[in-house]
Amino acid sequence: MKLRDLVLRSFFVLILFTNTNLKAQKQTGTSSFLERTDFKIGYFGNLLVNHGANTGVEYLWKGKTKEKRQKTIHHHLLLHGSIGYTTNFFMETENGLSTYFGGILRRVNSKGRLLNLELNPIGYYRSLLPKTYKVDGNQVSKVRMAGRGYYAPSIAFGIGKYRKGKTRTGWYLNLRYFIRTPFNGNTFKMIELEYGHRFNFKKK
Amino acid sequence: MNLNTLKLTLIVLTALSILSCTKEEVNLNNLNETLIIRHKKADMPAYIHGNASEKVFLIVLHGGPGGNGLQYRINTIQGEIEKNNAVVYFDQRGSGTSQGSYSKNDVSIDVMAEDILALAKVIRSKYGEDSKLFLMGHSWGGTLGPAALLKDQSEFSGWIDVDGAHSWKSYNKVKNALLAKANEQIASGNSIDYWKGLISTVNNTASSFNEDDFFVLNKQSHALEKTLSKDKVIHESKSDYDGVYLSLLDFWNTLNVLSVLRKKGLFEFDYTDRLKEITIPSLVLWGKHDVIVPFTYAQEAYDKLGSSEKEIFVFEKSAHSPMSTEPELFSQKVISFINKHK
Repeated sequence: MKLRDLVLRSFFVLILFTNTNLKAQKQTGTSSFLERTDFKIGYFGNLLVNHGANTGVEYLWKGKTKEKRQKTIHHHLLLHGSIGYTTNFFMETENGLSTYFGGILRRVNSKGRLLNLELNPIGYYRSLLPKTYKVDGNQVSKVRMAGRGYYAPSIAFGIGKYRKGKTRTGWYLNLRYFIRTPFNGNTFKMIELEYGHRFNFKKK
Repeated sequence: MNLNTLKLTLIVLTALSILSCTKEEVNLNNLNETLIIRHKKADMPAYIHGNASEKVFLIVLHGGPGGNGLQYRINTIQGEIEKNNAVVYFDQRGSGTSQGSYSKNDVSIDVMAEDILALAKVIRSKYGEDSKLFLMGHSWGGTLGPAALLKDQSEFSGWIDVDGAHSWKSYNKVKNALLAKANEQIASGNSIDYWKGLISTVNNTASSFNEDDFFVLNKQSHALEKTLSKDKVIHESKSDYDGVYLSLLDFWNTLNVLSVLRKKGLFEFDYTDRLKEITIPSLVLWGKHDVIVPFTYAQEAYDKLGSSEKEIFVFEKSAHSPMSTEPELFSQKVISFINKHK
C-alpha cells in the first residue's frame, strides 16, 4: 500500500471512529458557524535553519463533555486548514509555500490545558525558486514564477491552552512530522515546531 | 470611480509596467548570480561568481556523491580564479540544495552527466554562444566529468581533473595505498603508533571488494590527513568561505544520493578504458599524499587521456584537496591552464 493511501485511509478511519463515538452530549449544536471557527497565526520551522509563518482556520465540528469526579473533560474534533510561507535565510534556493488540511482531535481539561493530535492527509508544498531555466533537448527557456509542487501530508502532536468564550482563544505548541514526496528519488522527511495563537472574533 | 482614484490607478499601472519591462542588468565583470537549471524533473542551483567579461566560465563539479558546489568557493578559487574568469558552483542532482519531483529511476550517472550538458546550454543561452566553458571535477566530480565529456566534449574548452575518481573499482588500490602510506610514515618515524593501528585496521578488512569495508577504508583515508598535517607532511587545510552555508536539505541530500547511487552500482563505474576518447586539452592535478583516490590514479588518468595537449602536476604538500592545502599553487595552475586554452 502506498504511503498516500495509508495516510488517507487512516484519516477516514479516524473520522468514522470519532463520528460514531460523539453521538451524545453535543455541545456545538446551537452555536453559530463563526462561534465555532477559530483563526490561528503562528511560527513554524526548526528554529535553526528553516523558518516560516502560517495562518489558518479551525472549525469545531464535533464535541462532547465528560464529567470525571469533579473534573470536566472536553473532547473536540475539529476540521482545519493552514497556509504558510517558509524560508531559509542562508540559502536563496529554499523558499516555499505550504498548505495542509485535515482533522484535529483535542482534549481539554477543566483548567483549559489541551492536548492536540493532528492528522493532515491533504498537504501540498510548492517550492519558490529564483531565476530558473528549463532545458528540454537543445531548447532553453526561462521559467516564469518557477516552483515545483510536492505532496506533503503531516501529523502533529502538541499541547496548548484553550480559553472558551474569549477573543484570544489560546495558544498551541505542536511537534510536526511532515514528508514531501516524491522528492529527489525518495521521500523527504523532517520534523518542525509550530507555535501560534488562536482567535475567535465572534466570542466576547 | 472618481478622477483621483483613476489617476492613481493609472500611475501605479504605468510604474509597474515600466518596472516589469526594465532589462535586468548584469555586471559581467563581477557576476553574482544564482540560476536554477531545470532538467529532467530536477531543479539544480548554479551559483555563478566572478569575472565573466571574457565569457570564460569554469564549472566546478563537487565531490561526493553528495556535497555541494559552494563548498569550493574558498581560498584562492574565490580570491584569485574568480578574478580571472567566472566560476560556476553547481549543485548536482540530489545534492546541495537541489530539489526535484522524480523517482529513483531518474537518478543515474548518465542523467547526472546530461544535467552538466544542460547547465552548459543554459550558460551559452544566457551569456552568449561564444562563451568558453571549462570543466573541473574533484573526487566524485572526477567521475562525473568524464561521464559528461564522453557524451559531448565539444561544449568544453578544457578538462581539469583534481584527484578525480575515474574508476570506482578502487578497493585494492586504496588498501595498497593505505599500507604503503603507513609504511612510508613509520619509516620516517612519524606517529608510529597511529600508522601501526591503521595497518591493523586495513589488514582486518576483506581481501576482495566488500562495500562495508570500502567505507571503513574511505573513513580511514579521510582521517589520516589530520595526522599527515600534524606531522607536517602536508600543509594544514584552509577553508575561508565567507558566507554562511546552512541547510538541512543539503545534509539530507548527502545521505540520500549516496544511498541511491550505491544501489545503482556506484562501485561498477569505470571510465579508465574510455579516457582515450577525451581529446580536449586536459590538466591533471593531484595531491602526492592522496589515499582517498590514490596517487596511482593520477598517472593512469594522464596516460590514458586522449588529449594531445595534456599536463600533469603533483602537489608535494597535499593529499586529497590541494585547493585547501596549497591554494596559491592550485590557482596558479588552474588560471595558467584556462588562459592557455581559452
